Order: sequence, then C-alpha cells, then structure tokens
Amino acid sequence: MATSVAAKVSGPAGINAGRAVRRYGWTVAVYVLFATLMVATLIVKPDFGAFEWNTLTLAALPLAFAAAAQTMVVLSGGIDLSVGPLMALANVLALRATVGHDLRYSVGVALLVLLEVTLAGALNGAIIVLTRVPDIVVTLAMSFVWAGLALLVLAKPTPGIPLDFQNLAQGSTFSPWVPNALLLLLVIPLVWIPLRRSRAGLAIYAVGSDRNAAFRSGVNLGLSRVLAYAVGGFFAACGGLALSMTTGVGSPLAGTYYTLSGVSAIVLGGVSLAGGRGGMLGPLAAAYILSLIPAVLIYLGIDPNYGQMIQGVLIVIVVMIGGIGTVLRRA
Amino acid sequence: MAALMVAAFALVACGNQSTGGGTTKYVVGVSNTLTGNGWREEMICSIKAQAKASGVVSKVIVANRTTDAAGQIADIRNLISSGANVIVINPSDRDALNAVIKQATDKGIVVVAVDQAVSEPTAYVVSNDQVAYGQLGADWLAKQLNGKGNIIEMRGINGVPADTDRHQGLTTALAQYPNIKVIKQTFTNWSLDPAAQQMKDIFSSGIQYDGIWTSGIDSTVVDQFQSSNKPFVPIVGADNNKFVQELATLKDKGLKGAAVTNPPPIGGAGLAVGLAVLQKTHSYDHVIHLTPQVWDNTTADGAAKLAQTYDSSLDPYYSVAFDVKPYTTYSKQDLISCAGPS
Repeated sequence: MATSVAAKVSGPAGINAGRAVRRYGWTVAVYVLFATLMVATLIVKPDFGAFEWNTLTLAALPLAFAAAAQTMVVLSGGIDLSVGPLMALANVLALRATVGHDLRYSVGVALLVLLEVTLAGALNGAIIVLTRVPDIVVTLAMSFVWAGLALLVLAKPTPGIPLDFQNLAQGSTFSPWVPNALLLLLVIPLVWIPLRRSRAGLAIYAVGSDRNAAFRSGVNLGLSRVLAYAVGGFFAACGGLALSMTTGVGSPLAGTYYTLSGVSAIVLGGVSLAGGRGGMLGPLAAAYILSLIPAVLIYLGIDPNYGQMIQGVLIVIVVMIGGIGTVLRRA
Repeated sequence: MAALMVAAFALVACGNQSTGGGTTKYVVGVSNTLTGNGWREEMICSIKAQAKASGVVSKVIVANRTTDAAGQIADIRNLISSGANVIVINPSDRDALNAVIKQATDKGIVVVAVDQAVSEPTAYVVSNDQVAYGQLGADWLAKQLNGKGNIIEMRGINGVPADTDRHQGLTTALAQYPNIKVIKQTFTNWSLDPAAQQMKDIFSSGIQYDGIWTSGIDSTVVDQFQSSNKPFVPIVGADNNKFVQELATLKDKGLKGAAVTNPPPIGGAGLAVGLAVLQKTHSYDHVIHLTPQVWDNTTADGAAKLAQTYDSSLDPYYSVAFDVKPYTTYSKQDLISCAGPS
C-alpha cells in the first residue's frame, strides 16, 4: 500500500517535472547563462559596483522593452518589423509634448503616448487581419509609415526631455543597487501576468501554436491577433519612452537598432519564431545578456565589434541546444 | 560551456593586467558609433598613433560599434568603469551624451569630442569647422555654375551634429545664389553602397542636375559617372585619397571638382589636447575649430595641392591628411601601422 501511494504521488509529480523542464527549461538555462556571464564579469572586473550595474540596467532597458514587444507578437504567430520605428514614434511624441513641462505633466504625456502607440500597434494588427497580407509584409511596410511619421513629428534630434522625467529611469530612488531602470521593467510583468492568466492571453498562445485548432475551439482569431499587436505596441512605446528618459533627447531615428536586436533577444530567450511557445522571462534575461557582452569586451579592452559575432554565435549555440532538446523529447 | 566561458574570460583578464606602471601612465578610452567607414577607421588609428607617440599612455580601449546615442552612453559609462583618464568620443548626438559626459568630467576625466560638437560645456570640442565645410564647398560649386543651376546635396547621417552643421553651412552659402536650387537631397549615411545606389537612381530618374555636393562620399559618385558613361558635372567632396587622385587624373576627361579638407587625424589632435589638459602642460579653449581648405582642380594652386597630397601608400578611402599640426606628433608610418602603445 505504501508503495502504491508512493507510486501514485511520484507518478504525476514525475510527469509534472517533465512538463516543467519542457516549459521552463530554456528560461532557466538563459538565467544560468546570465548568472555565468555575471560571474565571468566579476572575475574580469572585481570592482564591478553599483555604477556598472546601473550602466547595464540602463543599456538593457530599451532592448528589454523591444524584446517584450516582439515576444507578444511572435507568440501570436506573427512578427513585427516595425517595433523600432514605433519606439522612435513614442520617443519623438514624448519630446514634442514634454519640452518645458514638469514631472506630473510629463507622466501624463507619457500615458497618452503609450495609448497612441498602442493604437498604432493595434492598427498594424488590424491591417494584417483585414487584408490577410502576411505579417512580415505589412509590418515591413508599416515600419516605413511609422518611421516617416516620426520624422514628420520631429525632423532632427532635439533635446529637452525634462530632467525630473529623465531621472525616472536614470536615478536610483531606493538603493544604488536597485536602479530605477530595473524597477521600470516591472511594467512588463504587471501587464504580462494578468494577460497570460486571462482567456485572451490563452487565446494568443492558441492562435500562435495552431491557428486552425484555435479557430475550431471557438477562439476569435482576428481579435486575438490584434490584441497581441496592440500589447506589442504598448511595450514598444515603453521602449521609446525609455530612450527618451535615458538620452534626454527625442530622435526620429532612435529605434533603428531595436527591431533586429529585439528579435535576437527573443530567440535567445526561448521564444519560438514559429509562434505559440515561450514567455516573457527568457527575453528579459536575454536583453541583459546582450547588453552585458559589449560591456565586458570594453572592460577587457577588446574591440566590441567582436561582440556582434559573439552574440551571433551565442544565439546559434543556444538555439542548437534547444533544437537537440526537442529532438530528444520526440525520440 | 558555462565553466569554459568563465575560464576563457579569466584567462583574457589575466593577460590584460598590464594597466599598472608609473603614475604618468594614462588609460585612453575611445567611443565611436559608425563602423565600416574609412574616415572613422583612420580617426581611430590617429588616436592610437598619438597615444603611442605621447609616451604617457599605457593602454587605449576602443569602444567601436555601430550603435545609437543610448548605446554610446553605455559605452562611455563602461569606459569610465575601465579607468580611462581621457575619453575621446565621436558623438552620435549633440545633446544626448551631456549627462554621461558630466559624470565623467566630475570624476576628473578629460572628455574630448572630436569631429563633431557636443553641447556639454565641461567637454572639449576639437573639430573641423563643419559649418564652414558646408559653406566653402557649396560656394565653390555655385561659382562653378555661375550662380545658376540645379544641384544635388548628398548628405551624411540625418541628425548627427556634423551633418546638421554642414547642411546649415551649405544653406547659408546658397542664400547668396538665388538661382541655384537644391533639386534633390539624399542621405548616404556616409557609406559607399547607398551613395552608389542613389546615383544610379538619379541617373535613371531623369532629374536635371548641374552639380553635386557630397558630404565626403565622393569617389563613389565619380565612379558611378564613369561606370554609367555619364558626362561629368562639377563635384564637391572631401580630401579623401581616391577622390584627390581622381580630381588630379580625370581633369582631362572633364571632371571639375573640389576637395574640402576634413582631416580624420582630428582624433589624434583631440587626444593630444586631452592629454595636455590632463597633465596641465598647456591650457586650451573648450572649443577648437580647424578651418577647412578648398583644393580645386580648376586653379593652379589647387591642382598643385591635389597632385602633391595624393599618396599611393594610403588606403583609397582614407583621407590624405595624416596629421593635424601643431597638435599631433606621430609619424605617417605610425598612422598606417595603426598600433597603440603596447
């Protein structure tokens, strides 16, 4: 009897453990990789302190939001090539409206910008759903629309983001080791966790992993996809505001590098580009990893151009290991 | 894999612990955000060469990658962390770096912005007078066209300080010539391929043009005229080796042009200024401007200068200027070898 109870208990537990590894294995691996890199950094730079930690959190902030934006869309089975221009749009709108104003007004502006760019993201999704043109084509085209709009809002880089507003990201309100740039990332779980637990979040996963099956289960495909693009737009807006706060300027070309580096971060973070698989935690750690590499190379005095190569190699290795895992599971 | 990476980093770290030395040994940091560009590569080499020639620099750390202002802020912060005493930057934005520059200067680090200006007053700015660069070239072109005609303006990177300043200079110069029109404006991003493509587009679009002003991607434009068999129009470029050669040798084939000087060794000059300020051997104004010269192949003086400065030992996309007197003290060989202090 005792053995049968043990079997009963260990049986489901064993299955759960297997599921847990499958579900969270990659995420855990990415965090282990980040921890390893941090240890390596501490060996390279024993005096790594609050200033250096702050540098990392500042560098990773816009990338983390770009990755979050891309994650939302990719989970729903799409891809958004307009994440960078959406960030630029949020960035220049914020500058235009906040110049010469105080903190409270700036925060109000920021909320409005979040709303506007969320709608812009939703428009991306709506066009895709209504026209049935592939995501990659629509978002590529829309990337030029948003980039052009950003240039119309602001023709050239212009300073003037209020200092108090900049300090929302640049300062350390609570402790030098808990920089505001780290706390701002809490926006991601605050939006993500309720969404993921809701029917709408489940529908996004369902649409991303098998559109037909989702449709037959009664999921509203169009609405789910538009929602994913809208939340993606929201995170892209957060990224654009992050750029405003960390640089203090509005720049119509601000987002240029974040479309593709965001894709790198989600691939490294274990989000399947085929859709329906992955989460937010992995890409967050990946954004930190991708921001830490150039820093370590500077500490070592090595040309950071190698950083791009190292990032590429790292992504290929990680994805290969992930692939091996999938093959073993099937076997 | 993880353990391996730690070991690898640790090994490299041990190999790099040569920072010590005497009290006169300084660490130099360099931040550049445009890669794959001959001018910028020469700029970095001039900084390394000047570091070596100065004899007081133990290490040059180069943060060189294509990135934006946010990335450059991170790079400069990392250079501060790496113990740099002088940081030479080619700024990607006039204002976005001010906070991090202030952080550096508050720590006693001398920050020198070269090539382009920053608005932070505690920084030193050592650059070509980029407004004059735009103005002189545009004025030469307008005179060549006798004050009448359409010109194409091939700019650099939209929004970076040097591009804005040059455009302002060009606009100022052309205000004197109401019959000169800028018929088309392009951004080459100071890269060869986009410039070549833009010229092809211009040829096929049927735009009527009488002259071309470039922000330094010049020989590519000349090459496009040649490969497309189009008759030359007057072209303004910079003192880049290949363009200088073309101005000298293609004159017989009808190429009229002018090279406006913009020496990349401004990087080495910036470091020399930074080191002098750090060691208090000389005091400098916070803004040092070089006045560009115009070398045209239509006057005897200009043609002589072009023939005399072309240098077959230099990379075609390098500038012919290998030093900026009186600031730099290295030899031409130092620049070509591109080696810092070892």
